Amino acid sequence: MLNTSWVHLRRAAAWGVLVAAFAPVGRAPAAQAAPHGATRHIHGIVEDDASGRPVGGATIIVEASSSARRSAPLRFTTSSDDKGRFDFRDLPAEVVRLQLRALGFAPHEERVDLTSADRLLTIHLSVIATRLQDVAVRADTLPERLARVAATSTLDAAALAATRGQTLGETIKNLPGVAVIQFGPSIAKPVIRGLNSQRVLVMNAGLRQEDQQWGTEHAPNIDSFEASSVTVVRGAATVLYGADALGGVVRVDHAPVPDTGRMHGAVALNTFSNSRQGALSLSAQGADLLLPAIGATGYRVRLTSRVAGNGGAPDYYLSNTGFRELNGSVALGVARSWGTAEVMLSRFGTALGVLKQAHVGNADDLQRAMTTPPTDSAFTYRIGRPNQEVSHTTFRTRVTLAAPQASELEIVYGLQYNHRREFDNHGPLRFRNEAAFNLKLFSNSLDLRWTHARWHGLKGTIGTSALAQGNQTLGKAFLIPGYDLWQGAVYAQEELALGRLSLTAGLRGDAISQTTIAYADQGIRSAAGTRVWRDVSGSFGAAYLLADGLDVSLRAARAWRPPTVNERFAQGVHHGTAQYELGNAALRPERSHGMEATLRFTRPFLQLEAAAYRNLIAGFMYLQPSAPVQTIRGAFPGYRYAQTDAQMRGVELSSTWSPYTRLQLRLNGTMVRGTDRLRGGPLFDIPADRVMLSSRWQGSRARAGAWFVGMGAQLVREQDGVPEGTVYTLPTAGYGLMQLEAGTAGARWLGRRLDLSLSVNNALNTRYRDYLSRYRLFVNDAGRDVVFRITMPF
Amino acid sequence: MIEQALRGMSRTVVRAGAGAMLLVVSACGDSSTAPGGENEVISRVTLTLTPPSGGGALSAYIDDSDGNGPTAPSAQVGTLALVKGVTYAGTVKFENRLATPAEDITAEVQAEANEHRVFYTVTNTGVTVTTTDVDGQGRPLGVRFNTAVASAASGSGTVRVVLCHYDGAAKVATATSCAGETDIDLSFNFTIAP
Repeated sequence: MLNTSWVHLRRAAAWGVLVAAFAPVGRAPAAQAAPHGATRHIHGIVEDDASGRPVGGATIIVEASSSARRSAPLRFTTSSDDKGRFDFRDLPAEVVRLQLRALGFAPHEERVDLTSADRLLTIHLSVIATRLQDVAVRADTLPERLARVAATSTLDAAALAATRGQTLGETIKNLPGVAVIQFGPSIAKPVIRGLNSQRVLVMNAGLRQEDQQWGTEHAPNIDSFEASSVTVVRGAATVLYGADALGGVVRVDHAPVPDTGRMHGAVALNTFSNSRQGALSLSAQGADLLLPAIGATGYRVRLTSRVAGNGGAPDYYLSNTGFRELNGSVALGVARSWGTAEVMLSRFGTALGVLKQAHVGNADDLQRAMTTPPTDSAFTYRIGRPNQEVSHTTFRTRVTLAAPQASELEIVYGLQYNHRREFDNHGPLRFRNEAAFNLKLFSNSLDLRWTHARWHGLKGTIGTSALAQGNQTLGKAFLIPGYDLWQGAVYAQEELALGRLSLTAGLRGDAISQTTIAYADQGIRSAAGTRVWRDVSGSFGAAYLLADGLDVSLRAARAWRPPTVNERFAQGVHHGTAQYELGNAALRPERSHGMEATLRFTRPFLQLEAAAYRNLIAGFMYLQPSAPVQTIRGAFPGYRYAQTDAQMRGVELSSTWSPYTRLQLRLNGTMVRGTDRLRGGPLFDIPADRVMLSSRWQGSRARAGAWFVGMGAQLVREQDGVPEGTVYTLPTAGYGLMQLEAGTAGARWLGRRLDLSLSVNNALNTRYRDYLSRYRLFVNDAGRDVVFRITMPF
Repeated sequence: MIEQALRGMSRTVVRAGAGAMLLVVSACGDSSTAPGGENEVISRVTLTLTPPSGGGALSAYIDDSDGNGPTAPSAQVGTLALVKGVTYAGTVKFENRLATPAEDITAEVQAEANEHRVFYTVTNTGVTVTTTDVDGQGRPLGVRFNTAVASAASGSGTVRVVLCHYDGAAKVATATSCAGETDIDLSFNFTIAP
């Protein structure tokens, strides 16, 4: 008796703490709020508490209460088999109520939290009127179709509100396995597991972002305020996403257009002291728009503007590194019994400066720029030459047709128009307002995906994908030729659930045709021609629930990627490095074979994910140093696209530990090694080893909301893997940065709800140069940055 | 076969989109490679040295058949055979002969004199180059120059011609080398008649 009440007491206490931990109290930046549509499993065993024998024939009922998305509660029923086992599949990712009845045993009831993971439960039944004991439950997450077998991390809306950076790239740069190639504050290009640009796919609202992504100085043209969550899939995900996803995927999801409610919205303001940036985003949404012949329609409009001046290193401003963004979007959507339909039109526009010192005429100029200390340029919002002006217009239609048992047909048509103009400070006066590089890229895409209901234990997606793309080259100077690209693909990915074991297999066939258009002007020649590539990518993964909260998965993936137009036909000087880059039209596709293992441990007070991988890339395309190129302007270090066999290996760790409810400690670490297996030695542009440590003290008050204060450190080790044959001495030294933060979500002020945060990046104003910073040859990286963020819903 | 099917499919995609948006009109395979405006390309640099007594001027040029392209500049055409004790009046000419008709870029350089300067670096100590023209602010330009050959000079040497383009960097009158961007960097050979 005493024993029983003690157990109850302990359980009650545990629930209290658990509820406190999951109540909207200071959500951790990486806490994975289940996105819309995520599904979870419960695997359980029912045992006789006294004998330990399985209890068969027990009736188990799971109930999910009604919510904003669901008018009626959901109810699932099953019974345990003769080994005492039972399974529930495809439950909503929320806290559900589980009830259990078995003849001769006391009834059992409990709440099972499925928000962050699948659960594995061992339920001990007491004969007639006694107690129920520890319930071991396992759960695995499915915010992403690949999440059960691949390493993924998600920043949800709350985390985004507290960490949103100057650009999209900056927002995700602290996730495990992720780094950025940065050109000052205005351009940040994601690097996943050491791969970047055409090897990292950016999905924006379900469309593959087509924005000349092959260029390292071409940042993703996405308004980071549009994102309701950002998910990073590390490792090849080509089956679901296409050939560009060889290194990984950055998935930017927008919230669905509301289907109930009157107009409401939010004002978000972010300020950054370093570049004196102000960012303002206004959004309004609702479902009370009445359209003729359509009826009640949901809508959302958003307008975002950012204005930033020169970024500041600890001792000087970085000349000409300001930027300006003006973005807007309109979305309309209906949700009916047959499914949903949504149209969206958005435009992203940016004008940004490129560091003056980084624009050089030839190798001698570069040498001089590198050895001359940076001139102390004054702060200004003015953007001079060299600069970029980029706009990205997206039109998207998405229709989902609901079929019985949660199966769904999804049709997405997207039209994207990317206009990129780059101006240099060269050229005769009368042509100075002509862009040096002027590229217009038109992309039409159509995707059909059939997600079928579970059938003999199988659940999955079958789809086709088509892309028609045309590029116009209109500038004064040659960068890449005009081209037409046609792509078609068929794919299927299925998951088979066998109790604690989940198997995932995927297969995709692609055909890609690239037709380049002849270019001949001012002595530069580029040939016309058509190349067609066809190949298959595939993946196989297995996830096993070892114990409640402990999950292991293994995944093997084969991926391939044809050479892009710049790799085949580039011809010209890369300003900033004075590299003369030469394409190689004869490049073959590269093929990667990778293996990865992931271990996840999810408990209320400790979450840990560790991943290790090895990826062999045959025919890895890279810029190989070659003989200097002599031109009338002098000598340039020559770089020619070549192929080798590469190996990428690495480990990633992310963990959160809450020794007390109010204290949260986090540790993330990333280590990547890239090796040239044919020639030996390391690969270029591999991020240095890094560790992020942070601690947060958090709590909740009625008026102050869910508050937090915290501090953190980013420690980056020296990069000792620098390939020989680079002509510059790159800065490779390690560094450490300190961060401070404080904020609250849901504070009340004048009867309104407010989310506020204040953070200080590089709090000690440390002088450093990151190995991946593209201005590393000339100037230090950004100094102290005080960031203030406020979001006010109305 | 697959290509055909693919092309057919993509056309359907394009057509499907055509109804949706006017932008699609320009998206249908209108992928041109058309140079817009004109690039600042210099394909020939000519040095002309005129003796004070008049008579035959010395002239030599270097061509680059692809301007800023990867093909190396040609060998020097014409010889510069200097005579001891003579001070030549020199000019440099920058041309774009890849355009039709050929363009004289020297005029551009002179028109934007405040942003340009030509530097001459000579390897033979007996030969001195002094610029004789100035920009709008009295700073040297270097399109015109004097080449003085000492009476004791002998042997041969090179003169390196650097056309410097100032934009971000300030043009300083006393500078001896380029602190801006290099537009031209070529070396001419000369000999000194015994």
